[in-house]
Formats: sequence, structure tokens, C-alpha cells
Amino acid sequence: MKGSQEQFESLLAPLLDLAFGMALNFTGNRADAEDLVQEAALRAFRGFETFRPGTNFKAWFFRILTNTFLSRRRRDKRRPVGVDLQEVPDLYLFHQTAAAGLHDRSSDPARLLLDKLGVEAVQKAVSDLPDEFRTVATLYFMEDFSYAEIAEVLEIPVGTVRSRIHRGRRLLQKRLWAVAEEEGIVRQLADGGDHDES
Amino acid sequence: MTNPDRLTCEETFRRLDDFLDRELSEEEAHQVGGHLEDCARCATRFQFEAEVISAVREKLRRIQAPPDLRDRIAARLAEADEQGTGKKP
Repeated sequence: MKGSQEQFESLLAPLLDLAFGMALNFTGNRADAEDLVQEAALRAFRGFETFRPGTNFKAWFFRILTNTFLSRRRRDKRRPVGVDLQEVPDLYLFHQTAAAGLHDRSSDPARLLLDKLGVEAVQKAVSDLPDEFRTVATLYFMEDFSYAEIAEVLEIPVGTVRSRIHRGRRLLQKRLWAVAEEEGIVRQLADGGDHDES
Repeated sequence: MTNPDRLTCEETFRRLDDFLDRELSEEEAHQVGGHLEDCARCATRFQFEAEVISAVREKLRRIQAPPDLRDRIAARLAEADEQGTGKKP
């Protein structure tokens, strides 16, 4: 028994930062994220005999982590949706940054803006997405999973993954811009408070 | 002269997401790449979108687990094991 625990832990240990990051995107706060990773680890350990050695432990564990989150969400529907679900126009951030004059300030206006946003602000923007977009976006951004791999983890059709990624990306752009405005970053950049040396 | 294999800006734009995510067939990706080489307007937009994705990825991947999380998981697994619920018989 001890041997299998050691084996399980040695497979899990290199994934902990990533798993915690995913859980933080899912839950939106560190305490719930820690709790979620712990519960997922326990579930995974209980089912470790169903894991086939040599197959993808990371995908297997992330499926359990995601399902643990989703089953918790089904029990607790109180969390409000932080983003309105109206259609976001294509190239939302491109046009917003152009209108704010950032394209005149830098050859790389996307970097100019996003370099000013902290990890926490970006993570919060992802966490604010509605559930179905948040889970897909988290797997998409945290890991280099293909659409097919995300579909396998979430057990949904590839076409659904594709449309959620495309739409989720637009929703995320809108949220990132809102956060940048709320934090005064847009005004600071538009006023020339930061210069790109490139 | 119009090249029938050449995509218009609109056709290229429709493939933006799949192109960025490397989900196009080799032939389609080649067509999109060809258009971007010739069209600075589309290339600027594709580059912007690619940078947003890349920057978001970089930020999110900097998140670190609390240093004691590994120990706490180990303790919880050991506890489950002792209670006989760690593994199915």
C-alpha cells in the first residue's frame, strides 16, 4: 500500500503547480483551490488502480480534477456569473487597444497591455468566465492540449470544445480589457506612462 | 490574375482561431500562411491575437502551488490509507 502511495505521489508532485493553477482558475480563490486539489488527489488515489501505467497520467489526473470541480459546482450553484454572455465582437482587444492609441505607442500593443496586468488579474479574468467557458479555457491556457485532448478530458464533443474556445477567448478579451480599465492601466498607457523600447 | 488557391481576407479571418490553435489541415494552414505573407493588415491582426494567447499562457503558468500542499496531500492520503479507504480491495 505504501509503495503505491509513493508511486502515486511521485507522479503527482511535478504536476502540483499546474494543478493548483487550474484549480485557482476554476474556483477563483486560493483556499478553495487548495481544497479542490486535495480532494482530487484523494479521489485519484482511490482510483489509482484504474490508471494504466504508461498512459498519460497528467490527462488522467486533470480529468479527475475537472470532474471534482464540476461535481462541486453542481452542489453549489450560488456563485454568480461574473461576465455577461452577450456576443463579443471579433478582435475586441485589437480594436480597443487601437482606439486607445496603444498601436501608435508600440509595435506589440498586446504585450504592452498584458505586461501591465499581473498574474492575479489575468487569473481573475479567467475565473470570471461562466463555467462552461472557464473549464475549457483553463485546460487550453494552462496546458498545450489540443481540442481533441480537451474533449477527452471533459468528455464533450470536439466541436463543442472548438466553439467554447473561440467564444471563451472573446469573452476573456472583454474581461481583460475591463480589468485593465478598472486598474487604471489603460489610462496610464494611453497617457504615455509606459514606452516600448522595441 | 487571381490565384484560385489564394484565400481572401475574409476566408483567412474565418480560419484565425483554428490557425492559431494549429487545428487546420496542413494544406489550409499553408494557405493561411501564404495569405499572411502577402497581407500586412491580416498579419497584424493574427500577430496580435497570437500575442494575447501567448501572454495569457505565460501569466497563468507562473502560478505556484503553496509550498506545503504536497505534504498536506501526502498526509491526507496516508490518513485515507489507514482508514482502509485508500484503495478498493
